[in-house]
Parts: sequence; structure tokens; C-alpha cells
Amino acid sequence: MTTDAVILGRSSAGFGMAAGITALFNTALACVKDAYRPLQNVMDSIAGNNWTTQGLADIILFVGLGLILSNIRTVQTIKPDHLILFLVAAVAVAGVGLFAWYGVF
Amino acid sequence: MGAFVAGNAKLAAVNITGSDAILLAHATFGVLATLSAVWVFVETLNAQEQNAQRIRRAAFAVAIFMAAAWIVGGYWYLHFYPVERIIILKGPWPFAHKLFMETKEHLVLMTLILSFYLPIATRDQLHASAAARRMVLSVAMLIVLTGLTIEGAGAVIDHGVKVALLRPSLTGRAK
Repeated sequence: MTTDAVILGRSSAGFGMAAGITALFNTALACVKDAYRPLQNVMDSIAGNNWTTQGLADIILFVGLGLILSNIRTVQTIKPDHLILFLVAAVAVAGVGLFAWYGVF
Repeated sequence: MGAFVAGNAKLAAVNITGSDAILLAHATFGVLATLSAVWVFVETLNAQEQNAQRIRRAAFAVAIFMAAAWIVGGYWYLHFYPVERIIILKGPWPFAHKLFMETKEHLVLMTLILSFYLPIATRDQLHASAAARRMVLSVAMLIVLTGLTIEGAGAVIDHGVKVALLRPSLTGRAK
């Protein structure tokens, strides 16, 4: 391996943060729609099934947020290790959160 | 189900339904996505200018296989799973749906997003950036771990159907 750069590319940083936020959003939406039936009904009516709507919402959020964050300078100044830690922690919290939510409720 | 005779043994003819084929395709695409993520991980550990294109192709394969697993699995989930859900809930393993399927169907969306992100992360010069390598390694490992969790949950759900169907009260068979 050669001498190393210490920053991430613009898209890599922006979409990395977007992926972490989307993971948390996904778990939050799963819990809220489960607890609040009217929201689930609205999501059912949008794409035929609330799960399909949630998948599409996740993708739209990831792409939209990724494009926005890729153009925000502040995101690129975040230390890469902090961004990696955020992404890993977000996925871990979101994953365990899903399991805990359905395990308890 | 039909049957045919081979020698002295009477064997049941293979009968694969559309539902079976779709479900097997779903699991296969999921495994291929996970294996491709392992491939990305290993290549990134030894990232050089020479294998940069191969890493990007492998990352792209992760995204394609994962999208295929999601679309095929989603079709099966919407069209065939409702019957199996009823069977599971009447059986001795209702948690196979209440806990494992509910978690799996939402966890897979996270893995999907990570899979879409991987080709973006591999666009950086991995051989020249330790930070970019760490990001790709982390994302690939998250895909592998969540992918294996999802495959395991699928096995529990499948077993939930099996143990329910083996119960005499559900199948109507005499003890």
C-alpha cells in the first residue's frame, strides 16, 4: 500500500452519512408505523403495502440526502473515522433496535 | 404430487412450485450478495491500482444481487407469505413471524441501502487512501454481518412453517 490520503471523497462522505441517517430513519419508521395504525394505512395506500412504501421511502431518502450532503462542505470536513463510526453505530443501533422492538412489543 | 417407480422403490416426483422457485431465487441472490461483499472486503485488504476496477465490479455485483434479492423476495413476501404467516402463527413457533420475520423484513432495507452505498464508496482511490479503505471495509463487513443475520432469520421462519405443519392439530392428522 502507498502513502495514504486522510479524507474521503465528496460522494463517499455525503452518501456515507446519508446511509447512516437512512438506517436510523428506517428503524424509527418501522416502530412508528407499528405503533400508529393510521400511518400504516396511509403507507398501505401509497404503494399497495406499507413495507413497499417504506423501502421506496428509504431509497428516496438515501439518494436525496446523499446528493444534498455531497454538496455540503461541512460534511467533507468531518474526520473519516468519525463518519465510519457514525455509520457503524447507526446500523448497529438500528438493527438491535428493530430486534428489541419486535421482541418486546 | 405424482410418483414414479425406480426398481423396487417408489419415489415421489419432484414438484417445484412457482412459490418455491421464487423463494429459492431470493435466498440465492442474498447469498451471492453476501459472498460478493466478502470478495470486496478481501480485495480491499490488498487494494492496489491493479485491482481497483475489480473491487468496483464486485461492489456493483453486491448492489445488483441485493436489489434482485429485495425485488424477488418482496414479490414472494407480498404474494405468497400471507398464507405461511397464518400457518406460523397457529404453530408452536409464532415468534418465527412476530420477531424474526418482522425484524428481517426491515433489516433487509438497511442492507439494501448499504449495498447501494458500496459502489459509491469504492469510487475513491482505495490504494491511496487509508480512510477510504476503512470505509469500504466497514461497509462490506456490515453487509456480510446483516446478510448472514437475514439468512439465519430466513431459516428460523422456514422452520416455523415446518414445525407448524408437523402439528397434528393443524394438518388434521390423527395422533
